[in-house]
Amino acid sequence: MVKIENLSFGYTKKQTLFDQLRLQLQPGNIYGLLGRNGAGKTTLLKVMTGLVFPGEGSCRVAGYDASERMPACLEDICFIPEEYHLPSVKIESYVSINAPFYKRFDYEKLGWLLREFQLNPQNRLHQLSYGQKKKFLLAFGLSTSARLLLMDEPTNGLDIPSKSQFRKVIAASVNEEQCVVISTHQVRDLENLIDPIIIIDEGRIIFQQSLEDISSALFFETLPEIKENQQPLYYEEGLAGYAAITPNVQSKDSRIDIELLFNGVIANNKGINNEFK
Amino acid sequence: MEKNKYLNINRLYLLTRRHILSNTKGWLIAFGAVSGALLVISLLTAYFNPENLSNLAPTYITIMFIGGYIFTSNIFSELHDTRKATHYLTVPVSTTERLFSAWLLTAIVFPALSMLLITLIILIANLLMNLTLNFEPFQQVFFNGGFSVFRSYLITQSIFLLGAVYFRKNNFLKTVLAIFVFSMVVMALISTFGYLFLSSLSEGGGVTIEGDSMTVQLESLFLERIPNVARVLYYYLSVPFFLVVSWFTLKERQV
Repeated sequence: MVKIENLSFGYTKKQTLFDQLRLQLQPGNIYGLLGRNGAGKTTLLKVMTGLVFPGEGSCRVAGYDASERMPACLEDICFIPEEYHLPSVKIESYVSINAPFYKRFDYEKLGWLLREFQLNPQNRLHQLSYGQKKKFLLAFGLSTSARLLLMDEPTNGLDIPSKSQFRKVIAASVNEEQCVVISTHQVRDLENLIDPIIIIDEGRIIFQQSLEDISSALFFETLPEIKENQQPLYYEEGLAGYAAITPNVQSKDSRIDIELLFNGVIANNKGINNEFK
Repeated sequence: MEKNKYLNINRLYLLTRRHILSNTKGWLIAFGAVSGALLVISLLTAYFNPENLSNLAPTYITIMFIGGYIFTSNIFSELHDTRKATHYLTVPVSTTERLFSAWLLTAIVFPALSMLLITLIILIANLLMNLTLNFEPFQQVFFNGGFSVFRSYLITQSIFLLGAVYFRKNNFLKTVLAIFVFSMVVMALISTFGYLFLSSLSEGGGVTIEGDSMTVQLESLFLERIPNVARVLYYYLSVPFFLVVSWFTLKERQV
């Protein structure tokens, strides 16, 4: 679905954001794109959407060069940015203006999603709260039947019930032909939804593994203390002891702590990635 | 492969419709305000100074031109706001359709509606003046040179279309400034070239256009060929040139 090869990009000539970045995304997955502030998560989504162009290398979406912004390619992309503008029209007007651009637009699905999110088609978009606007954009985006759904911090601004509603809707709406990329730093909101995990840092993809592979290779546990002979791949001190990542030598199951994994990959990238070889 | 990937009539219609429906309110207010003002000006002139009514035509044309330039300068306003541009540039249409839709609205629909509006104002003023003052019918001088007015608008408007894509803020004023600076540079170059070239031909070292020193060929060059080339450039090549540059600028636009 998405094939990025040797991508180099920088907003200025001196500061390079991506350096020879490679990434392939397959349909049927909900990718979690994680990274520190300024790592380039949003920019990477913009590259896939054709909103910014690679300095070097290429980004192909559904076989098209994303930077060409061809109609057939754009019809297959739905990008829900973190910051957006919605015109001061009714929901039904917005839909009647914008939906016809998408040949596979699913009006039934939109009706279901609007009901699910308790949005009235008669509501004016500019009068909705930030969270409601986000829900509307999500409902519209999912109804376009685009095969590539890109979401930038989708749970920002959503209240607690809405976050679980978001997970439920995404899980129920996305099919095997679609590829979803969710960029976030609020990993706890999206646990049990995102799989595989992609971590971007210093202009490169430094980690990309499925939850199954992570579970097989790594063991997440809380230790009362770190003994001298113990060599966790990564650990951090918490109230209950030390949250640690160790090699899963005994092939035991453990609950994956994505936040701990992220910190571990950032701190000990080589050590953790070695466990997957 | 997709058919008509660069220009599809249905997508063009949808994009133009989107543009109109998303901006109807603002455009109607602007159009209504200008129409009202023109009507009041026409009626006041007809009542207080009826012999000057025919002089209003140039005023109408000037207002239409300036209004058209401002309208054109703002046609890509979505492109210059990051949040709006994200949506605008991901609408599934081609660059050609984005540009063509904007051009249709600003170069064809706007002058057509403006001419219709002016006709209506003239008719209303006529009707009212005839009923109340038994006044001679309003001379429709505007339409005597209708085609040349439209052609001049079409040509100059294309510069403002490029300004609308190229500049990110204050597009109208920046385009006017760019035209002014460009004109100054061209005039300076022509003057310098003319002075250096002609002074070398002139016996006394001064510049003479129709003096003895100018050969027949030079006369033909300066008085026939160059003006002819300039005419062709202005009437036939300037619009395609500015549209092509606008297309590339739009295609290369990033958020």
